[in-house]
Amino acid sequence: MTLHAIRIGAAVLLAGTLWGADVDKSGFENSALPVFRAKCIVCHSGAAPQGSLDLRTAQSALKGGKSGPAIQPGAPARSLLLERVVSKSMPPGPEKLSETEIAAIRGWIERTPPMATAAITEADVFPIFQMRCVVCHGKRKQEGGLDLRTRAAALKGGQSGPAIVPGNPAESLALKRILAGQMPPPKLLFEYFVRPPSSPEVDTLRRWIETGAAPAPPEPAAAKEYKPITEKDRSWWSFQPPKRPAVPEVRARGQVRNPIDQFLLARLEEKSLRYNPEASRLVLLRRVSLDLTGLPPTPEEVIAYERDTRPDAYERLVDRLLESPRYGERWAQFWLNAAGYADSEGIIDEDRIRHNAWRYRDYVIRAFNADKPYDRFLVEQIAGDELADYKHKKEADAETVEKLTATGFLRLVPDGTYSPANGSIPERMNVIADEIEVLSSTVMGLTVGCARCHDHKYDPIRQRDYYQMSAILQSAYDPYDWVKPTERNLDVAPVEEKQAVARWNEPIEAALKKKEEALAAKAKPLREQILKDRIQALPEAVRADLLQTAATAEKERTALQKYLAEKFEDILKITAEDLAKKFPETVAETGRARKEIAELRAKLKAKPDIRALYEMGGEPSPVFLLRRGDANSLGELMRPDTPAVLRAGLKPYQPAAPFPDTTGRRLGLAKWLTQPDHPLTARVMVNRLWMHHFGRGIVASPSNFGRTGVAPSHPALLDWLATEFVRNGWSLKKMHRLMVTSTAYRQSSAIDTAAQSADPDNTLLWRMPLRRMDAEQLHDSILLAAGRLDPTPFGEPVAVDSKPGGEILAKGSRSGWRRSIYVLQRRTTPMTMLEVFDLPPMSPNCIERSNSTVSTQALQMMNSEMIRERARFLAGRLMDEFPLQREKQIEQLYLRTLARRPTAHETAKALSDIDKLIPYWTDHLQSEQSAGPRQETARWSSLASFCHAMLSSAEFAFID
Amino acid sequence: MPNLSRRTFFNRMADGLHGAALLSLLGPDLRASEAGKVYDLKPKKPHFTPKAKSVIHLFQNGGPSQVDLFDPKPALLKFAGTKPSRDIVNEIEFADQIGTMLPSPFAFRRYGKCGMELSELLPNLGECADDITLIRSMFGEHFNHEPSLYLMHTGRTLPGRPSLGAWVTYGLGAENQNLPAYVVLDDPKQLPVNGIQNWQSGWLPPVYQGTRFRSEGPPLLNLKPQGNLPNALEAAQRDLIHRLDVEHRQGRPGYAELEARIANYELAARMQVEAVDALDLSKESEETKEMYGLNQEATASYGRRCLMARRLVERGVRFVEIYIERQIWDNHSDLESSLRYCCGKTDKPAAALIKDLKRLGLLDSTLIISTGEFGRMPISQIRDNGTAGRDHGPSGFSLWMAGGGVKGGYVHGATDEIGYKAVDKRVSVHDFHATMLHLLGLEFRELVYDRHGLKERLTDQFPARVVTEALV
Repeated sequence: MTLHAIRIGAAVLLAGTLWGADVDKSGFENSALPVFRAKCIVCHSGAAPQGSLDLRTAQSALKGGKSGPAIQPGAPARSLLLERVVSKSMPPGPEKLSETEIAAIRGWIERTPPMATAAITEADVFPIFQMRCVVCHGKRKQEGGLDLRTRAAALKGGQSGPAIVPGNPAESLALKRILAGQMPPPKLLFEYFVRPPSSPEVDTLRRWIETGAAPAPPEPAAAKEYKPITEKDRSWWSFQPPKRPAVPEVRARGQVRNPIDQFLLARLEEKSLRYNPEASRLVLLRRVSLDLTGLPPTPEEVIAYERDTRPDAYERLVDRLLESPRYGERWAQFWLNAAGYADSEGIIDEDRIRHNAWRYRDYVIRAFNADKPYDRFLVEQIAGDELADYKHKKEADAETVEKLTATGFLRLVPDGTYSPANGSIPERMNVIADEIEVLSSTVMGLTVGCARCHDHKYDPIRQRDYYQMSAILQSAYDPYDWVKPTERNLDVAPVEEKQAVARWNEPIEAALKKKEEALAAKAKPLREQILKDRIQALPEAVRADLLQTAATAEKERTALQKYLAEKFEDILKITAEDLAKKFPETVAETGRARKEIAELRAKLKAKPDIRALYEMGGEPSPVFLLRRGDANSLGELMRPDTPAVLRAGLKPYQPAAPFPDTTGRRLGLAKWLTQPDHPLTARVMVNRLWMHHFGRGIVASPSNFGRTGVAPSHPALLDWLATEFVRNGWSLKKMHRLMVTSTAYRQSSAIDTAAQSADPDNTLLWRMPLRRMDAEQLHDSILLAAGRLDPTPFGEPVAVDSKPGGEILAKGSRSGWRRSIYVLQRRTTPMTMLEVFDLPPMSPNCIERSNSTVSTQALQMMNSEMIRERARFLAGRLMDEFPLQREKQIEQLYLRTLARRPTAHETAKALSDIDKLIPYWTDHLQSEQSAGPRQETARWSSLASFCHAMLSSAEFAFID
Repeated sequence: MPNLSRRTFFNRMADGLHGAALLSLLGPDLRASEAGKVYDLKPKKPHFTPKAKSVIHLFQNGGPSQVDLFDPKPALLKFAGTKPSRDIVNEIEFADQIGTMLPSPFAFRRYGKCGMELSELLPNLGECADDITLIRSMFGEHFNHEPSLYLMHTGRTLPGRPSLGAWVTYGLGAENQNLPAYVVLDDPKQLPVNGIQNWQSGWLPPVYQGTRFRSEGPPLLNLKPQGNLPNALEAAQRDLIHRLDVEHRQGRPGYAELEARIANYELAARMQVEAVDALDLSKESEETKEMYGLNQEATASYGRRCLMARRLVERGVRFVEIYIERQIWDNHSDLESSLRYCCGKTDKPAAALIKDLKRLGLLDSTLIISTGEFGRMPISQIRDNGTAGRDHGPSGFSLWMAGGGVKGGYVHGATDEIGYKAVDKRVSVHDFHATMLHLLGLEFRELVYDRHGLKERLTDQFPARVVTEALV
């Protein structure tokens, strides 16, 4: 009997006969049955009752249905049936159960005695061993030579003999140790996050042994009664492979620059609409610069573009922007949000920093800049470790490092399981569930998460689909063989980086060693003296042995010495406090030495490592469908597979192990996802690109291509783009280029009243939308405009500072401040500037941001010291660059902030506004008794006030 | 105003209509904008006529001990010193520090006409016994702080979902557009466990996120510029932005977003005035200050926040949550002295809040809730240093509510003989959430938000019921 054969349902199979005697028939017939008759049995009776639940007799109600037992005798709170009627999810119609009716059912359940002996099999004790024992008696660790993962292994036992003796609970060591409170060892409970089995669990274990420790029942021949996937289910548009549509002919030929325009114009012409006129050159320059690089053009770029009169000046501009390293910094941000990137673990208050997550961030930026084909990008992120046989290489080459770094993709969700108090098996399963959500919403545009507990209510995603996907991840994320996130790092790095760290650390380590040895040597006689004093109270016989033990290094101790060390732990352990108490005269000196050691240690650089997802090796634990998502309620055994509804035009999922010691489960998934005809992969990605460029996706619900999502506004265009994407070798830059060089993108954003009434939501795209910058665009653009942007790319994140008032700011340096993508993204300390402008929490990810207009944004812009500093700096710079040329200063300010020149009227207004501010500043400086040249300062401050207003203005924040 | 055409709307804009009146127009009109749905704080109709209009949530971070404060268990005397059962051991955080059954060191007394039994440490709350509902049969899902705080605030033990205040303002909007709808008054000394994540809006739009008001110094982050600029200078700068924005809007007719933005800057200016005024306690009488304990060191800090909460609710703020310094109710050791300290800090101000709202006629429309994230164990916890305390106990704990349509002098449910586990009329955290929404006129199944095609709600997919027994 192997674990794979374990089957659940023993209780269900046998319930009918064994529970019969305990059911209080009169109770049922007088209390619950009348309610069931009135409200439930119309569906829950007959030859094929709904959900296989028959409510006509007490036995059949107890037996339950597809979701497991409907009631837990004696325990209304744990009874599914009661849950459903109380929450009013049952009955499904408008007529629900009254309070009295619910009370009648509750009363019946309460009065029904808990079940008597049902036949118990290995299937029932499997979860108990898994939860309580296998952390030490399992795959990686087999304390005392004992493995409790299977019945066979338990029968075989360990060094002390068999763990269980069928039919003889008194002789079964496992049970004896549990009952005596020795196992699990109380000392290890906290550290390993294990709790002793509960009383019902102990009872189950005892009865299992008593009744002969039966193996799990054989696998039933017939498949389980899952709702089959029908042809109708598969026919949903997004589950069909995209077909290359013919490009439609249009009348407005002059407005066509590429096929995108033909698809859009065809629909516009149906409504007698056409595109808006083209936006002005400078509007377009600002729009496309902010769009592709997240930054506005500099004054020099504005002037150069104005001068470039070649007919393809715009296309050249687009090429230049796509080649700019700033492009990757902008577009990586969207992917990082979709992937749920954060620099901390979250969940626990401590919010521990992920010291190496930034390597994945850099990988993504580099991938975008290098235009890594999207299919390869996905394969590396899902299964990079299965592409590079790093375990059998002595030194990792750059390519291996890159592929391993890519797998950080599935290591980004909040994960508190490093804490013993937050690492229970259900909490580990939460981590896996979040990764499945990231994967399915980001890559597949589907919601699979709800199938963790039940079949998807609207889409043909079954509960088994969820657990099959979970089985794909199991070889890397095994809840029964868990590695804490803090320990789940690969000690792999480019050789140069490793050597550089070693070179740096070597002299520090040597110095440390010297200082530590000196400290220990000084303390040695003192320790001996304390020990000698302490053992005076002990019998003479052990004194010598104890001294000997203390003098022997831990590794070299004999069995007796080990025993003594454990027994007299309190006596042998001499802490720094003990030393300080006994020899106060040494405190000052040791304190100094300790401080020096700590300072040295702080200088050490951490060994470079990678936050990766990788195969754990060996056979992963079996994955079972969990009924209602409950870790204690195992259903059918699951094999790795992809959702059953996605079959059309696809090669089936197949684990593909490229080298030994790996299961190939994730590589199989990655290959399955990146098939050219995959119905979702290309569509979902081009739709997101479209959304970021045009403000709304062709499918307006970018993470939901299912039945509850929004139907595509231009289905043919979506399919054309998806197939074009694949034809172009999954090149993202080619897609960007196609989109932003279309006439559609080059339209003005002005509102045309006639078009507005024909298509008020602009679904057909007769204009470009006016858009407010998102948080990062705004933050970075202010820095650039003010001349404070430090363009340094990559590397460890910039630290943040929490100001006394509560504002969280990025730390700057002499070269200014870096782009927001390089600032520490800790979950508990989001940068205030970004947060007020709708930075979403990564929980676990975000595909589409919301866009709010709230007064804290105005307060931030008007009053934050950070913006004021930028404005003062900018004003000072303008005065330095154009001393006494006030018109020039204003012109430069407009170029820097709005990428255009001011009109004569605007210049005049600006100058008069600044003049009006001067007396206010003069008064203020006077009353503050400010030192220095007050008149000069007042002029500077007034110009700074105007710069501040420009940076806070609508025109700066909005993109035409 | 759904029938107002866009044209009429913008004509009225041109008439100079602005400010709060403008905001009240924006909701339905902006929904059609291509920027996607726009969410706002304009008042929304509840599902049915509510009892409560606003909520003051006194969150007692740490887990107040029910058997020492709210839930007398004389049986503990009988079992004193005996070892706990396997099930209790199973649920303990520090499984290596398990002690024995520990009777409360405090006496319980009967308070009010109703004769509600409360600890001698709560004499002030005792005076309000006839105004409160005490639920003794609460139970949670996790024995550790972070997940339990999330559960209490968002309905799940995981981070990332919207908190209670976010749901309530999403459902009801705000009565006063010049103040945030959801205000958080955290302790100036230290943030609670989970920090700012307690009042996040999760995947609800950020407009529903809680806004931190500080009880010392300027109430709101960046409410005023640094450096004490004169008002005239600030006003001149605001006028400048306004001028630029009006010119910008003139060149882009038809964009409601731009109107909203201008209105928003005006709102911020009004908030500068009103927020300062709302938190200005110098306007309160000496008697009131005395009542909240502002004149004693022990109660001054918590008392200030309770009084501020009253002033905010008076001004139409929808949801106020008051935090306590970190998690002072986490009494793992020194049970006796630490509980005395906690009650000394909070009992008087919390009771003053009830009495004050009652005398102002606001108690009926204000729901006050006081709860921790869980309770504590009936057994002792033994640490190396210090005297015995109690470890976390999620299986049974107490919370109280007052005003806003809940009964006075009512005790609901019970724990078992030793106070370990809720057994009678058990109330889950989801039940409590459903009840709170009900009191505000919101049906918990109908208050939904569409996310990835799922109709999300505060109680998620968990079964929940309104605790109707506790309603007036």
